[in-house]
Amino acid sequence: MSQDTNTTANSNLDWDSNDPHGINAHDDDHHGHFIADWRMQVGVLLALLLFTALTVGFYNLEQWVETAFQITLPKWINIAGAMSIALVKGILVAAFFMQLRYDKALNTFVMLFCLFCVSLFLGFAMIDLDNRGWVEENKAVEIQYGGSGAMLNSAPADEAYSVTLGPKVNTAGMSLVHYARLHGNENEHGLLYYREKGKEAEFWAHFYEGHAKHRDLLDEHNFFDQMGFGHHVEASDANKSVPRHGLTPGLFSDVEPTADGHGSSHGSAHGSEPEAESHDDGH
Amino acid sequence: MTMIETDTSSVPARILQSPKHWRNRKAASHWRSGDEEFDASKFGMWLFLSTEVLLFAGIFCGYAVFRLLYPEAWANGSHYLDWRFGAANTAVLLLSSWTAANAVRLAQLDKQFWFKVNLVITIVCALLFLFIKLKFEYMLKLPAGKAPGTFFSYPMAHDPHEPLWWSLYYVGTGIHAFHVIIGAIIFAVVLWRAVRYQSYGPTQYTLVENSALYWHIVDLIWIFLFPLLYLIH
Repeated sequence: MSQDTNTTANSNLDWDSNDPHGINAHDDDHHGHFIADWRMQVGVLLALLLFTALTVGFYNLEQWVETAFQITLPKWINIAGAMSIALVKGILVAAFFMQLRYDKALNTFVMLFCLFCVSLFLGFAMIDLDNRGWVEENKAVEIQYGGSGAMLNSAPADEAYSVTLGPKVNTAGMSLVHYARLHGNENEHGLLYYREKGKEAEFWAHFYEGHAKHRDLLDEHNFFDQMGFGHHVEASDANKSVPRHGLTPGLFSDVEPTADGHGSSHGSAHGSEPEAESHDDGH
Repeated sequence: MTMIETDTSSVPARILQSPKHWRNRKAASHWRSGDEEFDASKFGMWLFLSTEVLLFAGIFCGYAVFRLLYPEAWANGSHYLDWRFGAANTAVLLLSSWTAANAVRLAQLDKQFWFKVNLVITIVCALLFLFIKLKFEYMLKLPAGKAPGTFFSYPMAHDPHEPLWWSLYYVGTGIHAFHVIIGAIIFAVVLWRAVRYQSYGPTQYTLVENSALYWHIVDLIWIFLFPLLYLIH
């Protein structure tokens, strides 16, 4: 290799046999580092802002087309538009702001190898999603595009998300309170249902079923306890995670010890007479 | 060592004679040259940045899997977000990325005043990003019940998997916001050292370069988070 191709400061004149590659020939003040041109940087910034406006404009154009012509555009248009523009922006930032274009190829290689790993990560996850049925046939139905996951038998975590959280009625835009006032108590799932005398237990039983996982947030007046459902919280606790049968029988037995010495059954509380007094004494 | 010719007449001797001034700083003794130290440090930074990409790849992968499984929840989720705040934050981050790149160039050219000005703008943009995120997004959504996972209590939800969307939203944007905070702190350190000692100049700007790289990767990740969360439905 000729010395002329060597870009170090003073190695092209005197060749040092002790330092054939010119490693120690640098002056401290020598810097071959790339110094970016400010016009290039301004141009990249403007391009990035332009692409941001473009992707937002594309999104709003889709929304407008869908409402104006009463059509539903295929989802891949939305995804391809947004992600291809994001990719161009990402390449601009990496190549010019991060100066990969002017930098050692090693740094680019590191990042490309990283992206290769990411693609393996994403790709195998997608292959897994698409082929669950090969392993367990019952999973082929629900693990798919648009599946609800609700039919999976072995997914306790999924149950946390299969609670119906939203209103069970279509209020056509009006507030739930206004809707309930308009409809009185005629809808059995309506908000004001519990105002009927004698139906409180039924209401809270229904409410509890729907909101078992969100009890702490929704039951701020502790109605569950008052109505006798306090011992039916399905949340995970030590009793479930540690099978300690025999060691602490009071936590497991069907009979709840109370202050007056009489036991009250767990099972009878749900859906029948509330046992407010005995539970209050018990705590 | 040849001195680089710049006008230092207005710089107080306390700064010029400080061992932390860039003219007085030297490569650590185990490096053959400052260049080699710089390149190794930068290579290490790139390795670290690749682990950052892998960190966010987990979130992107979760996004892809759950979007395929629960497309309705994901479509509703992106409609709960206002693209205007996302776009504003994108512009803020792009601007700060530009000022960070400017700061590197100005340190290389020993233009100390504008170097510091660009650092200040970068930090202000980081704080502005966090302000928009908290004031117009987190603090509006969390009280409305649009909270992650088991904290979810939004009464008008239409899909039972929306808590999962919010989990992904808060984890993704939260980890990103955490990176913004770290970046702002690093730039504050650089600014302090630049003001106090003029620590960065043509031969000594490794920390400026690496913190700018870190800031660019934060920007880069937001460039992908923004369309994924706000625009794709």
